[in-house]
Amino acid sequence: MSLTNIRNFALVAVLGFLLSACATGGRKSGNDWYTGTDTVKFLAAGVPDRVFFATNRSSLHTASKQTLNKQAAYIKSSGISVVVEGHADERGTREYNLALGERRANSVRDFLMSQGVSGSKITVISYGKERPVNPESSRLAWSQNRRAVTVKAK
Amino acid sequence: MFRSLSLSILFHLSIFAITFLTLPFVMKKPIDVPPIISIDLIQISDKTALPFAPKAKEIIDKIKEEKERVVTKQAPPKIVKKEKQDAVPMPDQIKKKKPKETDKQNPEEVKDEIRQSSEFEKKELFDPNKIAALIDKSKEETADLQQKESLDITQNQDSSVSLDKGLTITQEDAIKAQIFKCWNIPLGLPYDEDLTVRIRLKLNKDGSILSSEILDHVRMNRPGQGFYKVLAESALRAVRLCNPLKMPTTGHDKWKDLQLNFDAKEMLKG
Amino acid sequence: MRNLFIFLLVLFYTSKSFAVVTIDITRGNLEPLPTAISNFYVDNPDQFPEKIKKLKLEENLPKVIKGNLMRSGLFYVLDNKSYIQKPKLSHLKPRFEDWRLIKAQIMVSGKLKVDDKGRLRVEFRLWDVVSAKEIEGLALFATPTSWRRIAHIISDKIYQRLTGEEGYFDTRIIYVAESGPKTQRVKKLAIMDQDGANNKFLTLGNELVLTPRFSPNGKMVTYMSYFKNLPRVYLLNIETGIQEVVGDFPGMTFAPRFSPDGKKVIMSFARDGNSDIYTMDIQSRKVEQITSNPAIDTSPSFSPDGRFIVFNSDRSGFQQIYVMRSDGRRAKRISRGKGLYGTPVWSPRGDLIAFTKIHKGKFYIGVMRTDGTGERLLTQNFYQEAPSWSPNGRVLIFYRETAGGKKGKGASANLWAIDITGYNEVKIKTPTDASDPSWSGLLSK
Repeated sequence: MSLTNIRNFALVAVLGFLLSACATGGRKSGNDWYTGTDTVKFLAAGVPDRVFFATNRSSLHTASKQTLNKQAAYIKSSGISVVVEGHADERGTREYNLALGERRANSVRDFLMSQGVSGSKITVISYGKERPVNPESSRLAWSQNRRAVTVKAK
Repeated sequence: MFRSLSLSILFHLSIFAITFLTLPFVMKKPIDVPPIISIDLIQISDKTALPFAPKAKEIIDKIKEEKERVVTKQAPPKIVKKEKQDAVPMPDQIKKKKPKETDKQNPEEVKDEIRQSSEFEKKELFDPNKIAALIDKSKEETADLQQKESLDITQNQDSSVSLDKGLTITQEDAIKAQIFKCWNIPLGLPYDEDLTVRIRLKLNKDGSILSSEILDHVRMNRPGQGFYKVLAESALRAVRLCNPLKMPTTGHDKWKDLQLNFDAKEMLKG
Repeated sequence: MRNLFIFLLVLFYTSKSFAVVTIDITRGNLEPLPTAISNFYVDNPDQFPEKIKKLKLEENLPKVIKGNLMRSGLFYVLDNKSYIQKPKLSHLKPRFEDWRLIKAQIMVSGKLKVDDKGRLRVEFRLWDVVSAKEIEGLALFATPTSWRRIAHIISDKIYQRLTGEEGYFDTRIIYVAESGPKTQRVKKLAIMDQDGANNKFLTLGNELVLTPRFSPNGKMVTYMSYFKNLPRVYLLNIETGIQEVVGDFPGMTFAPRFSPDGKKVIMSFARDGNSDIYTMDIQSRKVEQITSNPAIDTSPSFSPDGRFIVFNSDRSGFQQIYVMRSDGRRAKRISRGKGLYGTPVWSPRGDLIAFTKIHKGKFYIGVMRTDGTGERLLTQNFYQEAPSWSPNGRVLIFYRETAGGKKGKGASANLWAIDITGYNEVKIKTPTDASDPSWSGLLSK
């Protein structure tokens, strides 16, 4: 192997490596969570009642955590009990969506607990895709439906 | 967030730079692109040409003319031919069936033979010469023997090739096409089971069915062979719907005994 | 001498080959079988009580049979306006040429008679018009309320005789009847005959009900309900209407099915963000945990011999289909293609698994062999899922939703069925929107 060949090979290898570094890992994750303010209600003044999720994901991003911090503070100070409802969009199978909603709701509950809220104050329920907030079939509507909503327990 | 952004920018710039630098080097050796051959897919229809296309007949007759002469000159002795009646129809034999003024063989029949041989491009298979040699010179030396042995093998192959059948490929296709239309394949059958129904038909001269018989009819009534029974009945219906079959106007002896093997595997698999 | 031997050898082989011309028939037409269904003839109309006379069974029995056979896609029933022979003679002494004339290959005839005990006796005969012979016959007793089942049983007999397969017409379908706006959908459990007749609602719609499934004997249903805002799996006795919650789980249970022997309910139980598969014995109430994995494990379905379970799991990162032993061991992934897979259901024949696939924004219903090979997608749509098998393993029923425009306008949910060959996709009529269909076994079993 001549020096030229080795150099070429190395350059192409580095190129390939860098390119792959820039590739998005799997189209399904992405970051298509809703970032708007429509449909958002308030638990109390300045405390949004919901967080949103990317497709098929139950992980919390920074904006969600900020919202949940506010919720945690309010729950602790007011002493109320809450129910966290987990929801999914219509672009999935019904049973899996029930499980996904439950996972999302627990994601929120775990975070609230990590912020000091007592576990006994939080119950979770999943509605899967049964209770969309926006009945349209559009990406916007779906992103608004992928949510976990914290409501005051009755 | 800024950390990831700056890293991303850094990487993107690196890629830019490397691409810019490496491209001329990488492109040093051009790749040999093989010439593009365009391929036209020709649809082969399931119906072949009519059995007795007049124009083809003329052309074949012409070709036949020359061969004719070769054959007639070496016409084998009649006696032996009688015993070999079941073999490839000899020119002389056909003469008996359809007497003609001249010594010329019946153009139709020979045409069949010629067509067969041209289709299979095995002229040595059908060469009355060799057969004549076999019969006449029964006290030949070993050299001839070898010839005959090879002929044996080819003759055996013959039995599985339509050369020895009463029907040509096109005639066979014509019959197939009729049955295809009449056969309503039961859609519910499993396609990966061994389901072949063999029906033996005896035909009259006008193509009407004299008798029909399912060869494996014992299987039909065995428990657990419900699918076979269903298929067999559908095959029988097909045969009866197609009655009378359109058969060639001549050569009744050759096709009066037909065996149809109904096999739906291909169709159901798709 | 050797030459003589060879000569005889040649003679033998060549003489043998001339006897029979063999032709391979490897093609035919895949068209539905042309069938004629004659009206049934009434033997003693004067003895018919008014109740039965009103039903006009001589017309309506053939009508139901015709509907069944046509919907299967395997038969084409000719319009009876073209029939030449009258019902009585068709049954007693059919003139096959008359039927061949209208191109029928099969003919169904029947007779109705009230016996001295006042029971209605229904007799039917199946004729092979082409081969000119009777190939099946049956007599049954009917009551005014069960006459449709008679038609279905006759349809099953005809279907079986001509395809070799068991029929699926004497069956029922349980599903969720939907109404109202998408954001506040009202859902009720509903049950109907497989041809859409005799539709009945089983719940009132005060709480959400989802994914109902029949027990093997068709007498019980298991489903998920949000009764008292607690999502749990329930059992419902169809005859008595009594509902009871399955087990005493401290969290959401969902996706329930029966085991093939009807003794257990298998389902998912979700807790702390994790869903695992559990079974509960209906009699003893004994609960067993089958999967123990931090991923979502749901949509379990038993193989018909009860030895394996196919289920949906995202343990690989995305929704895929797995098969494990019924004790939960040796879980192995079987879905191989690109995309997400869900709702796996094992065929009652044991040979295939039906599923929903989501790929590039499209939803597919498909089947694959139990080892994951031979994946075939049968239909594609904007949104469809949850296939359920007919008892003969030949037809899948599932549901479809159309896209909703502004404020959800135009969105509707309907039941559809398709043959496993991919042919014959038909919409199943329901009085309201419908989803989550499940097919019962043969009622006559």
